[in-house]
Amino acid sequence: MLDHLTFDQLSEEQKYDHFMDRINRDEKIEADDWMPDDYRIALIRLISMHGISEIMGALPEKEWVPKAPTLHRKLAIMAKVQDEMGHGQLLLRVAEDLMKPLGKNRDNIMSDLFTKRLKFHNVFHMASPTWGDAAIIAWLVDGAAIMSQTMMLDTSYGPYGRALKRICQEESFHAKHGESLVLSLAEGTDRQKQMLQDALNRWWDALLMFFGPKSKQETGHTNVDKNIKYKLRTKTNEQLRQEFFTKYIPKIELIGLKVPDKTVRFDEESNTWHYQDPDWNEFKQIVSGNGPKSDDRIRLRQSSYENTEWVREALGHVKTAVV
Amino acid sequence: MDEQKNGLNPFYEEFEVFSKKKEDGPLQYQFSLLAPNEEMAIVLAKENFFRREKAVDIWVVRRNAIRKLSQSEKESLKKLDKHYRETKGYADLNQRWRNFKEKQDNGTDEKKVEKA
Repeated sequence: MLDHLTFDQLSEEQKYDHFMDRINRDEKIEADDWMPDDYRIALIRLISMHGISEIMGALPEKEWVPKAPTLHRKLAIMAKVQDEMGHGQLLLRVAEDLMKPLGKNRDNIMSDLFTKRLKFHNVFHMASPTWGDAAIIAWLVDGAAIMSQTMMLDTSYGPYGRALKRICQEESFHAKHGESLVLSLAEGTDRQKQMLQDALNRWWDALLMFFGPKSKQETGHTNVDKNIKYKLRTKTNEQLRQEFFTKYIPKIELIGLKVPDKTVRFDEESNTWHYQDPDWNEFKQIVSGNGPKSDDRIRLRQSSYENTEWVREALGHVKTAVV
Repeated sequence: MDEQKNGLNPFYEEFEVFSKKKEDGPLQYQFSLLAPNEEMAIVLAKENFFRREKAVDIWVVRRNAIRKLSQSEKESLKKLDKHYRETKGYADLNQRWRNFKEKQDNGTDEKKVEKA
């Protein structure tokens, strides 16, 4: 920075250069710091989508709280659902601080969700019809989420990094919970094994889609390049998907399950997994709010929001009375 | 007052949450949350941040009660060189003492030589 000027005296261009210098020096950007609109918008998109996905992700899991087979499982699933909601709280808080200068807040996030302008992860648009699905979600969907969240721990935006650090600590419990569910079914009767295999078959494409398209050729649009430039993330979608294969395919096979893609193989020469691409048009449809359970889940979220309005109102009155 | 400040969402206020893990430990910043009042802020702090983590004390502070540094002020902190306040600002002293010691030792050697 020009030494004789204070930060406020810099031109917009100098501020931008100063900002990029900070990014390149791996400094952390804080909520009140100057940032280009481009960076702010990219963060809002990424973090509000992540935050809402945590909340929408709790919905398919909570369906299993009353139906869990033992008290221990019931308690563990309840704890996990509560964690996911807590993660949503953290992330929405981070998003809100970024939206504040634009005159927006949490109400805008909720209304954008209800009108399908705000997207959430493809996996949370899907049905979870059996206990096997609950197990596959907890093991592999959470496993995939942990990989992408861990990748962003060192993100350039300080508040997001701090939220992710908290989230990842709790996710390590979720990972064990998921393994425990899957192992119990894999050790069980033929029917239980079949239930697990059926669930894996149902979830395989959704898991591949979770990481997003390889490039904009698949869906016509991607934010990965920008997010890497601003050091919001460090790996591409495909790098993460490859790591997922390396970590989980051997385990899937070890417990006697079959990956429902006959073309999957590891190519030693190129050190990459070959696999059948999911239908990226279907992906676009799903994340646009046209998945099998999209409407049900959004309706559930909306009615819950409306049904609890009186609580927010009542608390508001207490405050007015006290102040 | 605060309600005007938050503009779009008069119901919530922003709170910053601090906690102590051990009786004799430092107070540590945790995160922020939205709540309609202090009491709810404490309840939500417990729910949001201490479902597993141990805490012996929790503080909540309205964000607008906190005076933070502006970016200019933060930048000006970076420029300050306070080596003169710290021992590491005086790292050259040992060498300089050694120089005198060597001079002295050489001096006595020379005298010895002269005498001989």
